[in-house]
Amino acid sequence: MITFKNVSLIYPNAQRTILEALNFEVFEGELVLVIGHTGAGKSSLIKLINGLVPHHTGGILTGEITVAGRSTRELKPGQLSDVIGIVGQNPINGFVTDIVEEEIAFGLETMGIAPEIMRKRVEEVLDLLSLAPLRNREIATLSGGEQQRVAIGAALVLNPKVLLLDEPTSALDPIAAEEVLSILHRLVHDLGLTVILAEHRLERVIQFADRIMRIGDDGEVVIGKPGEILEDSPIAPAIVNLAKALDLSDISLSVRELRRRTESIRELLQDLPLPTKITESRNEILLSLNNVSVKYDAKYALSNISFEIKRGEVVALMGRNGAGKSSLLRSAVGQSPIISGTVLINGIDPVTLTGKNLIRHVGYVPQEPGDLLYGQSVKAECELADNDNGVPVGTTQTIYENLMAIPNLNAHPRDLSEGQRLGLALSVILSANPDLIILDEPTRGLDYVAKNKLIKILQKLVVDSNQARSVVIATHDVELVAEVAERVIFLAEGEIVANGPTREVLTSSPAFAPQVTKVLAPAAWLTVSEVVAALEVSAI
Amino acid sequence: MQLVHPLVWWLWALLLAAFVIRTNNTLIATAVACALTLVVLKLKSKSYWSGAFALSAKLALSIIAIRIAIAILIGVPMPGTVLFQIPEIRLPSWMVGIRIGGPVTSQRLSTAVTEALMIATLILLCGAASSLASPHRLIRSLPKAMFNLGVTLSVATSVLPQTVKSVARIQSAKRLRGQNIRGLRAWRGIALPLLEESLERALDLATAMESRGYGYHGKTSKYRAQKFQLADVAMITSALYLLALSPILIAHFTFGLLLAATVLIVALPIVIVPR
Repeated sequence: MITFKNVSLIYPNAQRTILEALNFEVFEGELVLVIGHTGAGKSSLIKLINGLVPHHTGGILTGEITVAGRSTRELKPGQLSDVIGIVGQNPINGFVTDIVEEEIAFGLETMGIAPEIMRKRVEEVLDLLSLAPLRNREIATLSGGEQQRVAIGAALVLNPKVLLLDEPTSALDPIAAEEVLSILHRLVHDLGLTVILAEHRLERVIQFADRIMRIGDDGEVVIGKPGEILEDSPIAPAIVNLAKALDLSDISLSVRELRRRTESIRELLQDLPLPTKITESRNEILLSLNNVSVKYDAKYALSNISFEIKRGEVVALMGRNGAGKSSLLRSAVGQSPIISGTVLINGIDPVTLTGKNLIRHVGYVPQEPGDLLYGQSVKAECELADNDNGVPVGTTQTIYENLMAIPNLNAHPRDLSEGQRLGLALSVILSANPDLIILDEPTRGLDYVAKNKLIKILQKLVVDSNQARSVVIATHDVELVAEVAERVIFLAEGEIVANGPTREVLTSSPAFAPQVTKVLAPAAWLTVSEVVAALEVSAI
Repeated sequence: MQLVHPLVWWLWALLLAAFVIRTNNTLIATAVACALTLVVLKLKSKSYWSGAFALSAKLALSIIAIRIAIAILIGVPMPGTVLFQIPEIRLPSWMVGIRIGGPVTSQRLSTAVTEALMIATLILLCGAASSLASPHRLIRSLPKAMFNLGVTLSVATSVLPQTVKSVARIQSAKRLRGQNIRGLRAWRGIALPLLEESLERALDLATAMESRGYGYHGKTSKYRAQKFQLADVAMITSALYLLALSPILIAHFTFGLLLAATVLIVALPIVIVPR
């Protein structure tokens, strides 16, 4: 269906070739997963297939790419729209109209399809993606998962043979991600659609992939069966790491498969004691919310929320999209329209704090870390932060250099990778030395390496010898929560439905359980490292 | 369910505006404004444009307040009953005809109120039309010959509300960095990320449109051509009649009848427009 013959890609003014001498073939009805570190060229590869690269972005391309027998050399993306559908990283940016039905019809309108045929096609697509109940809704009012489905529907309406998706689940909660992926799975199996999918969160997609394409940092690409590729890949989901850690002969990709093969180990683990975190008595309350309600227009975003965060704690805030996580976080910095209740941070109402006084108490890294940055280079950004926060020159830069392996100081903040940008925003916040650090969806665009680094940073922050801080993270990433949080607050419809130790909360909900838990249930293990540690102790 | 054609809402509002200007009467203007508020409350769409009416109401009220304040403070002397007196500031002799303070006459005040009410009603009509039929929808119903222009404009109208949201988001991020969010220096910090974000969004949209075949096919078609219906015809004809017949109604019948007819016709959409 898709063939790459000797394809190399280089962007003008780039230091290195993005992709080098690519040769592969993708067959009809395959689901191919593209993996690689951030910035390795996953998006470029996806866009090469429908010609957006280089027709739309510029760049030098050598070799030959054909899709369904047509070469992308002469044809522009628009001329390939009847064979290839593409869903971008932020589907909301690509919507042309504001009603679901009209959005799906847009592709047909541009092709000049007769209205009667159009009606039928739109109807089919609405049914295929279970969008019929939403047909008259405004797209802006839909949830993330629903928007993703509309974008897929809009791409499918022209009956393409190939569907390309760039990180379709990274912004979604686990349940919405499952909805989207199960629909993709059905399209591949029922309609023989060829799907190429780039994704960081392997634990979500790995079981659906027929083959994996891994892009190395040097632009080299390997393609093969998931088992072969992941065997020696530094990028691997928890389930693969577990199989490796247990010394199984080969790795498994689904929970079901691994459960079958670990029966004896599970029995052994059942009797081992679960690790208990030794926590020194913490009684200093850093943040307290008392009966807080927040209202937007006529809708309650939060109703009667009460909880406390103590010094030295790492707390995860979970829940579906729109459950009130961001409203809750913003109330801690005095930015939510609170209609009743009190918020106290270090005993002070954050609404009364401004400027430097606010950031001494609480540092907030928003979902788009770039919002915090406006310098022309990393170095300039660090100097601005020193100035803003009233700290000696060089403080922020030292923090940034400690966080990052390669602190490219002269780069523009917009040109940094997601992980580096997050690191820079975090350094800016940390240089003000706040007691409480709030992170809103920090792992959205992070690969496993960057994520592990973030986990180490966070763990270091709370046990800092000079000053123990507290961290609150709002996230959909269950694997991150399992690694780093000691307590989970679970929100639904603006109310707290669970507030307790991570182990208790995560293991009680099947949708939000990490992979290790799913494999080793009913024993409540969370991470690979604690399983390994327990097995080592028992072996002695 | 078929909505009223967006063009009909705008035409209806225009006809009513002409009617208000032509009758030039405070009572009529007030009646139109009140009936209009009812219509908007009952029928407004759920899009982000629906806030336009509330915004225009605020604008209208502030215009009334400013116009009356100016009428009291500044103005040329006008004959009539003196209502009250405020201290007058002596101006140099070359500023003849302008006066600050002095006696406030009933005539001066009533002229100001009439003018202010007229402008306020026109603004309300404009706000009502945008909140009842979003400009976004209006542009999409442009004739086929203007398809390209329409899509370009619809990109612009969809970016506008998103930009408002982005400004709020970036402003709050600035506060979280402990910075001042007002003043010129702060604007540099907001404008830069905003510009980058809008460019990124525009590029994303262009990419999405291109990959969906936009602009490569000579002939385009309409998914759901908007047809004119009974409600559309009734709204336009009733407003036209009101405009055309108002001189006759004033000349030959009582003012009360015209007032009643105005209220009934402006409120007509509540009854006939499907929801």
